[in-house]
This record gives sequence, structure tokens and C-alpha cells, in this order.
Amino acid sequence: MSENFRSTETKFLDKTNRISFKYNGKKYYGYKGDTLASALLSNGVHLIGRSFKYHRPRGIMTCGSEEPNAIVQIGGNGSFTEPNVRATEQEIYEGLEASSQNCWPSVEFDVGGINNFISPVIPAGFYYKTFMWPKKLWYSLYEPAIRLSAGLGKSPTQPDPELYDHKHLHCDVLVVGGGISGIIAASISADNGNNTVLIDDKNSLGGSTVYQNDENFKINDEISSSWLDKKIEELKNKHNLTIKNRTSVAAYHGYNYLLARENFADHKPLDERLNKLRQRLWKIRAKKVILATGAIERPLIFNNNDRPGVMLASSVKKYIDFFGVRCGDKNIIFTNNDTAYETAISLNKKGIEVTVIDIRKNSSSALVKTTQDAGIKIYWNHTIVNTSGYRRIKSIEIMEMSEDGTNVVGKKTSLICDNLSISGGWTPMVHLFTQSGGKLRFRDADQVFLPNTAMSDQISIGSCNGDFELDDIIKNTISECKNFLSASVIDYDLLKVSCPKQNESKIIWLLPNDKPLGKTKPFLDFQNDSTAKDIKLAMREGFKSIEHVKRYTTTGMGTDQGKLANMHALGIISETAGVKMGSLGTTTFRPPYTPLTFGTIVGRNVGTFFDITRKTPMHDWHKDHKAEFENVGQWKRAWYYPKKIESMHQAVQRESKAARESAGILDASTLGKIDIKGTDASEFLNRVYTNAWSKLGIGKCRYGLMLNEDGMVYDDGVTTRLSENHYLMTTTTGGAANVLSKLEDYLQTEWPELDVWLTSVTDHYATASVCGPNSKNILKKLFPNIEFNDENFPHMSFKNAELDGINCRIMRISFTGEHSYEINIESKYGKSLWEKCMDAGKKFNITPYGTETMHLLRAEKGFIIVGQDTDGTMTPSDLQMDWIVSKKKYDFIGKRSLYRSDTMREDRKQLVGLLTDNPSEILEEGAQIVQDEKKQPIEMLGHVTSSYFSPNLNKSIALAVVKNGKNLKGQKLLVPMKDKTINVTVSDFIFFDSKNERLNA
Amino acid sequence: MLNINYPKIENKEYPNLKLNLVEPIHKLNLRGKNRDFFTKAGRILSIMLPTEPNTSATIKSISALWLSPDEWIVYGKDIDKNLILSLESEISKSNLGSVTDVSDQWVLINMKGKNVFEVLSKGSPFDFNKFKDTKNVVVQTLLNHVDVILHHNDANNVDLFVRKSFSEHLWLWINDSSSFL
Amino acid sequence: MFIINCPFCGERDQSEFSAGGEAHIVRPKQPTELTDDEWADFLFMRKNIKGIQFERWNHSHGCRKWFNVIRDTSNDKIHAVYKMGEKPPSN
Repeated sequence: MSENFRSTETKFLDKTNRISFKYNGKKYYGYKGDTLASALLSNGVHLIGRSFKYHRPRGIMTCGSEEPNAIVQIGGNGSFTEPNVRATEQEIYEGLEASSQNCWPSVEFDVGGINNFISPVIPAGFYYKTFMWPKKLWYSLYEPAIRLSAGLGKSPTQPDPELYDHKHLHCDVLVVGGGISGIIAASISADNGNNTVLIDDKNSLGGSTVYQNDENFKINDEISSSWLDKKIEELKNKHNLTIKNRTSVAAYHGYNYLLARENFADHKPLDERLNKLRQRLWKIRAKKVILATGAIERPLIFNNNDRPGVMLASSVKKYIDFFGVRCGDKNIIFTNNDTAYETAISLNKKGIEVTVIDIRKNSSSALVKTTQDAGIKIYWNHTIVNTSGYRRIKSIEIMEMSEDGTNVVGKKTSLICDNLSISGGWTPMVHLFTQSGGKLRFRDADQVFLPNTAMSDQISIGSCNGDFELDDIIKNTISECKNFLSASVIDYDLLKVSCPKQNESKIIWLLPNDKPLGKTKPFLDFQNDSTAKDIKLAMREGFKSIEHVKRYTTTGMGTDQGKLANMHALGIISETAGVKMGSLGTTTFRPPYTPLTFGTIVGRNVGTFFDITRKTPMHDWHKDHKAEFENVGQWKRAWYYPKKIESMHQAVQRESKAARESAGILDASTLGKIDIKGTDASEFLNRVYTNAWSKLGIGKCRYGLMLNEDGMVYDDGVTTRLSENHYLMTTTTGGAANVLSKLEDYLQTEWPELDVWLTSVTDHYATASVCGPNSKNILKKLFPNIEFNDENFPHMSFKNAELDGINCRIMRISFTGEHSYEINIESKYGKSLWEKCMDAGKKFNITPYGTETMHLLRAEKGFIIVGQDTDGTMTPSDLQMDWIVSKKKYDFIGKRSLYRSDTMREDRKQLVGLLTDNPSEILEEGAQIVQDEKKQPIEMLGHVTSSYFSPNLNKSIALAVVKNGKNLKGQKLLVPMKDKTINVTVSDFIFFDSKNERLNA
Repeated sequence: MLNINYPKIENKEYPNLKLNLVEPIHKLNLRGKNRDFFTKAGRILSIMLPTEPNTSATIKSISALWLSPDEWIVYGKDIDKNLILSLESEISKSNLGSVTDVSDQWVLINMKGKNVFEVLSKGSPFDFNKFKDTKNVVVQTLLNHVDVILHHNDANNVDLFVRKSFSEHLWLWINDSSSFL
Repeated sequence: MFIINCPFCGERDQSEFSAGGEAHIVRPKQPTELTDDEWADFLFMRKNIKGIQFERWNHSHGCRKWFNVIRDTSNDKIHAVYKMGEKPPSN
């Protein structure tokens, strides 16, 4: 199809660069710089999609991010496809494929169009009210059917192949919006030495002034667009100014923290995008923010105001003046204010037929005079009562308005047209201002919400601040910026601006009609298909708050977030209820301002970078030996080492037996390690652990239990006294960071008088734990100079040692119940140490075991794991560990809480052992425990915390917390599962070697 | 003999950016607050520990970085076992403060070139505007959610300290970020 | 995301800090002397004010020091920061 609607030359497009693209499978041409919308309009395509609910044909309505109708799917079925893209923002590129959404089977013939004819029976709330019963049909029938016909675009089914990232940016001044006020502000800011960033969502700066060629608008006797052109050129030479085009601010948070999406690739052909960044999310901290976000034009609300070809007047002007595209050959402009006359003048200049309908009785504006002088017909005091044309507007019917404007009088006149430009005045874009916590005020004269008090260091300038006339915009922008930035630059002080004064607009939110409201379709929210009727219905049904009306009618809940609809919804509520609009408030403006793709939100935090991984010094050995890994916090820990075709269960059984029968080795490097020094180190340990530390001999180790101030177990671990005032504390793997932070807290805030220094050395040391009856023999081979007999090196003691001349520490401690040693060495030697141990243990069949076997072995021994057998509600007494709580110490963290009436209750949940009556049956961790299944309501006595099949005992064992468990030994209880109930008996929780004979073997 | 294994960090070059592993190098953590501590540490190291927040002091090849009013990290090629021993005995064992060998706690990566701060800005909320124009400054902050210490010791030359267990992950991230600025 | 002026390191992004609850709750020196109610008051009772609140914060990813913050919870504005052991600034 030829470009028969590209009627004029334009400097904003590169006419030498012709681009082909496909829309709904058909090939079209446009130029570099075109949006999909302007390119389609230049080919005479107006019909873009079907509306959400009634499936009415809809066309391009605007030229920006407020577009409610022209929402398309970009890309075919491939991974590059993206739904819900605004055709008014998408730039075309060679090979672009776009298609309509929300229509089936096609936009020209849509089955759902039937909804339009049955619309009287599907009012607001229809879906809520109708598809409630029977409930189970929702998932199987209603939802799939509604989704098929509603079709909000198709999600890609393959992973997104494109790259996204995040970057932080800090600046003195951030200017949001590259229209004339933003350009002046950025220029003043940079000239006064501020590191300035100017952000604009279009591909070039200048807003609407850059194509304002009307003689009525002059700056320093120059037509405003050419004056601005020069200013834009000047900006490019300012070294401390960064300009970001195609960048849209999504969110404005407190403390001038803003998120903006910069688009690098969406206007480029796919082959130029490979392995390059598509979008970047900027995380901006600005000392000062200047909002110059502009205003968007309001539609007018009248019967059948939604047909393809009905567009905002200012957009029609942009299409002709910027893109050189006429939106029709017979244009009618329908307005309540003077600005729409700029469109009339522009169209007339290009020789395009135009007629104006104005609901006002007159206007003395210079623009109106120019329009009249051009011989354009103006129908004063008229309104549109109906439109016709199914896939494109064909004609309208107008009537004169009554004296007070509440009704229509006289006869209908029919006018032929193929484009209807509507203008209901302007709405300042205060979204970002309110997102940042700013409070609005209401200006009655033109019914606008304006920025009032801001929460952070910011100002709003230009039309987003309610200035709509060029001289006001420039004058106020300059004075406010000078004031805000304490700027001395006076370049702009002598500017001479001339522009037409605008007379008052006449605001009627819902225009009168000769038919009753129920027989008309005055659309409010074009994307969500809500009409003025729906708002009134909601109010009749008792909804009063704007937030409720919004949700009931879905007005303003589309992807455009009601940029066009919200003010009219408020206006109609206020007119209907007879309350002042300013007192109604607005719905909450929430980020993002325009939708963000998930890729941009997550940036590079995908795949490898989804979460941090920490590795031990022996990691590569485990990997080379086919270990399966378990995530423990951020750590990757060896879980078990399957041999050939072993299952996890088989591997764990083998590892567990080997550790008890000969020797096992565990990578314990992940345990938290805190170096404690200072003359008060012993006193400090006395205060943080429940047991006593002063008498611990040098070279000895002790197990400690750490509580929270509420008396609940917080962490545990072995601490070694290295010298008089020097200890090495170990913590649980997951608790390391929190324990250090908690200890620092006490030192800094409660006990600053203590001479104690804490330093984390978790990563400095690698730890290999060798256990089993042959562990001693292995250590002997590694350290021939050390006496490993019980007198010289008893359980719970430590020795400094050397391995091949490298210092290491050996602790004889045990978490398995076996005779066992932990060797600490500087972590760069960790892997080598491990290999040495494997070598030395070869003849004893030393078996590497992972965390699963470790858990099993300690469970046999009844050792708790903080965080598995405890959950922040267990006291030492609940764990039957009263032995570790010092009665003599005056105080320690949590001590007082152990004497609260609640913690002393006898019937608290307490740690017990559980044996299944059938010894081969393994309980599920987390399973509930009950005594009487028939009792209603059934009483939950507790739950299973750890459960394993013990190869060393050849039976199933479990730890559990059970109400009053201490007194229930021997009691039969039940563990009801999905398909059966398991009989268990409460037992002692130490299942293996309760006399600790093996520790000293 | 025991073998030494460092995390898998090989030297890399990107446009205006060179990344190097700086190991082995001794690193010490010093804690203390009284005057004797400062005097002793200063004498043994021949450096006055910096007391101005976020700064460092370097003499010859030993640098002392301010971490908090009572904590420093000291590192450099000229630190040897003897120096560590004498610090330990004259400070830790004399109860003036604490000296802890953290050579293997941290991995040191050097980043050099005009794009250093472009990469760092991708993962750190810290405002590098002043920092990048100042030498001998230090910041402890987050880089891609990982704790790091950054020492800007020469123009566009940053020593980055990261805890060893995090280092391979952060290294991958730095390389990933450097590959598309 | 606030900016917090660490009294030791200067202005930093909130992500470097962790919050530590209400400030100026002193751990009793002699807990054993307290009744259950008095101890429970120390342990559990915290203000939850809409308006000016005194809080503890820790520069956990920086200097690891704890300090106090006066913050207006209704708008997140921070009115003052001061070190542990110091009295809140009078205005």
C-alpha cells in the first residue's frame, strides 16, 4: 500500500531511510523515526485492536505513553515476542513484526464483538457477580474461556534471550522531561556548575514546542520551535550535562531515589541487538529533582466516543506537524478550550479540510481569530450526541446545548468526517510528584490537581505544574529554577515571549445527550471499557470512595493506569454526588509510570547471578568427586557423594556406616569462626553463653549454647581457649553473620566497658573434620610429632601443629559421637590438606561424607541442630539440656527469661526421641504428632524435627518436639499421614552410645 | 608439601579495564583505641594508622585502611611473618588491642583503568563521584550484594577486598558486568 | 530507600544498614531483681509511633558500628543521627 497519508515534509524523519515492517502479516513502509502508530496512520490504518470487554473496534488515539487502545504484540511466536506494547511509543525498524491483540480470530472480524450487542447485560461488576457459582467451574471453564476471548497479548513461552542490567547514578540535579521547561531547567542547572542529568522518554528532545510553527508563539521574535532548536543544540555542548533519550522514569521514591528505564535496542532490528544490552534500569540518587513531566490532553465524554478515528487533538497536531501524517481528509475538531484550535490551524495550513465544534459560546483567543480568518467553520455551543462508523468513524451528529449546558436542544445536524479530534483540556502529569510523597492541591478554574507540598528537594515546572501558556511556562520555569538552584545565571532574564492568552475552558465531564444515559455509550476508560454509566451504577450500588469505584468498575486499572480516564471518573462522581472534586482526592499513583518488562526489573540477577554462592576451599575437590551439593544459606555444601548408580539413601547409608566403622571426613569450613581477643574475653563468653567459661583451661574446648534475651536457643558451637585472653568461637553455618552482629551489638551498646575484640575469620580457615575409630591413626600419620593418647590430647582439647611446615590447629571435638578431630588451616591450603587426609586415610577406607550423613550421625547421638530441631521457641530446658545452663552465674543473655512463668511451664513442647513401631518406616520431617485421632478438634502435640533411617542401629529414628514430652517416655503416639497413620513410641533422644564410650575409644 | 590454591581468578582485560588477582599478599586486621595502641602500631608498621574516616595511609608498599574508629586493615608486599609476629606480641599479647591475620579471609583483586567506576556503579549504591577524584580513600560497601572494601590508591586504580568464599561469585559478576558497559 | 548519615562514615544508601528497633532501651543491670512484668516490659514492649521515633541502626555493610537515629515514621525523614551512649540532640 502506498503512503497516501504522508502529506507533508518533515525534518524529524529521515526520508532517505525507508523501512519496511509487518502489521498483522501485511507489509507496510515507514521512515526511520516513525513510531508504529505514525507509520500505520501514514498507511491509512486506524483500526488497531478490540476493546477489552465489549470487543469494540478501537484505533490509535494518542501519540504517547497514555495510549489506551493501540496496544500491540511485537514479534512473532519467538522468544523476542512482547505483549502490550504501545504502538505510539514503539519505533519501527527494518523487519518489525507487530500484531493486534485482544481479538479472535482477527481484528477485522472478532467473535467477541457480540459482547457489544449484549452490553446492556454486562455492566460493571458483571464478571464478579456472574462467575461466582459454582465455584469449581472458575478454573476449569470460566477463566480459560474469558482469557481466550480477552487475550491481553501472549506471553513469550521461551526464555528472554536479551540482556538487561542495572546501574546506579548519582547527580546534583535530575531533570525529568525534555520539553521546553525541562530544557531551560537543565540548561540553567548545568550553567551553574551542577552535575546534571536530563531524562526524556522520546528519541529526541523538545516536547511539543519543537514542532510548534505557529506565528502566534514567539520567543525573542523567533518562532518558538526554531528558538528551541538552538537551545537543544547548546545543551549538547555542556560537559556537565548528561542527556538520556528513550529513558522513562518508572518510579520516584523518597530521598530523591528514582528508577528509570533506558531503552537501547527496541528501535533496532533484531540482528543488531544480539548480545547487546536491551534495557538498563538506572537507580538514580539526585540531590535535587526538577520535574518537567508535562501534561496530557483530556478526551471528552460523549456517546460512542471510542471509534477508530477519534483521537486527541494535540496528537493529531503532532502527527501532522512532526510526522507529516494526516489522520484524515475530513477532520472535525471537538473542543471545550482554545488549544485545539492550534490543531485546526496546523491542518488548515496543510490544506486539510477541518471543522470545529466548540461547547463554549465563544472565545476571543487569537487562535480562534486565526482559525476564523482561515475560513474554518466553527459550531459554537454545540455538542456531539452520537457518532457512526464501525471500523472507522464516518459521521457525527451534533446538537446545540441548552443555556446552562446540562441538556441539548433543537435539531440534530449530521456531519461527515473520517477523523474526530477531541480536546477536553489538560491534565498535569503529577504521577511522579505524588509517588515521591507529594501532596496535591486542586485548582477549580480548570479543574486540575497540582503539586502542592513536596517531601523531598524537588520542584515541578511547566505544564505539570499547571502552567499552560508559553509565557507563563518560560517565566515561571526560569524564576523557579533560579530560586531552587540558587542560580546566578541571567541568560534568560531578558527573554521576550509572545503567545495567545487562553480563555477559560468549559468543563462538562459528561456531555449531555438527547437519549437517556442507559441508551448511550460514553466511554471513560477506553482500555478497560468502562463507561460513565458504570461509574453511576457503582455509585447507586453504594460505592463512595474513588478507590472503591475504581476497583468495582476497573476504571484506570489497565496498563495505561487510567492516564486518560481518572480525571473524568472523579469529575462524574463529583457531578453525580454533588461534592467538590477537590475534596474527593485522587486514586493512588503507583509505580511504574509505564509498564516495565520483567527483564528490566531483575537485570542480571538471573541464572548464575540469581543468588550469591559461597564456596569452601575444598569445593573443587567435592565437584571432581561427583558430590551433590546442598544450599545452606548462601553456601554450597557437599551433601553426599554418590558412587556410580547409588541413590541418595544408599550413599548416605554407606557414608554413615564407614564413618562409624573406620573413618569419615567432612568439609566443615562453612562453620562461622570468630576470633575473640581481649582481657575481658572470658567474662564476655560468660555473659553470652549459658555455661561458665572462666575456668576453661588454656588449650581446652567447650560447647556453648547461646540464647536470645527471651531465653530461646539462638546458636551453638564449640569455643576453644587458645591462650589466656584469646578464644576461637565457632558458630553454626547459617548463624555466623548474625551471631557476630549480635555480639558486636552487646559490646558496643550494653557492655562498652569490656576489653574484647571480635574479628571474623570464617574465610581465613579451612576445616577438615576426620572422625571414626581410625581417625587417630590417620592423624598420627599426618602429624607424627604429636602424641595422640588421651592424656596428652584428650577429648575437648586443642593443639597447635605443623603440616609440612604450615601452621594448623587441631581440635579434638566431635559432632558425630565418634572419636574425631577438626583440623583448621589457612584456607589457601584447604584443598591440599583435604587431599593429604584422603591419602593418609586410604588404608582405613576414609570416606568423605556430606551434610546429610553428618545430620544422620549427630541425630543418632541426639545432638541438636539449631534451626532444625529448634525454631526460636525452644529453651535449653525444652531441649532437655538443663545441664548446660549455669545456676551459679549471676547473669547471661536470656537468663532472666528462663524464670518467666511461661518458660517454666511443665507442658511446653520438649525435645524427645521417636521410634516407629515398624522399624523400617521413616517419618517425614515436619509431620504432626497426635495422641487421639478421634478427638475433635484434633490436638496437635508437636511435630517431627529430624528423621532418618540409621544404618548403625538398623532402624528408623526421629527427633521431635512434643508437648510435655519429658514426661511421655514410653508413651504411644500417632503420626497421621495422608494415606495412613504411623504408630510411634516416645523414647530417649540419644539413640547411640549414650555412655560416650566411642568418643574416648 | 602442601599446595596453594586460590579461587579461580585469572587476569583479564576489557576496554579501559584490567583485572588482576593480587595474591599472595599478607593482610592484617587491627583493632584498638588507646594511645599506646596507636604508638605501637605506628612504630612497628612505620605508618600512623589513619584516623580520618574513609581514608588510607601508604608508606612504601604497606597500606593501612580505615575501617571504623577502632578497626583497620593493613596489607602490602612488605609485610612478612616477622612483622606479624612482632605486632601480635606487642599488641595482642600486651593487651593493647588485637591483631589478627586475615590474609586468607580476604582475596585481593586489582581493578585498573578508566572504566573501573563504571563497573563498580553497576553493583554498588555508593556515590563514587568524589571518591574517583580522590586518592587514598577507602569505602566499605556492597557490590552486587557482596561486602567489599575498596581502596582507591591511585587514579583509576582500585584494590578490591572480597571475602574468599564470595570471591569466585563476585569475580564472575565483575567479568559479566565488564563485558557490556 | 533512605540515605542514612552514618556518624562514622557519612552518608550512605540504606541498603548498607540494618535496623535494630527502638533506641534507648537499656538492658537492666540486675535482671534477677525484676518481676516478670518488669522483665517482660524490657523484653517485649516497644513503641510503634506514627511520627518521631528513636531507633537503633547498624552500618552492617560498612563500619559495623551501631548508632541512633531519630526518624519520622510518617514520612521517613531522618532528623538526626547520634552515637551510642550520646544523648539525643535537643531539637
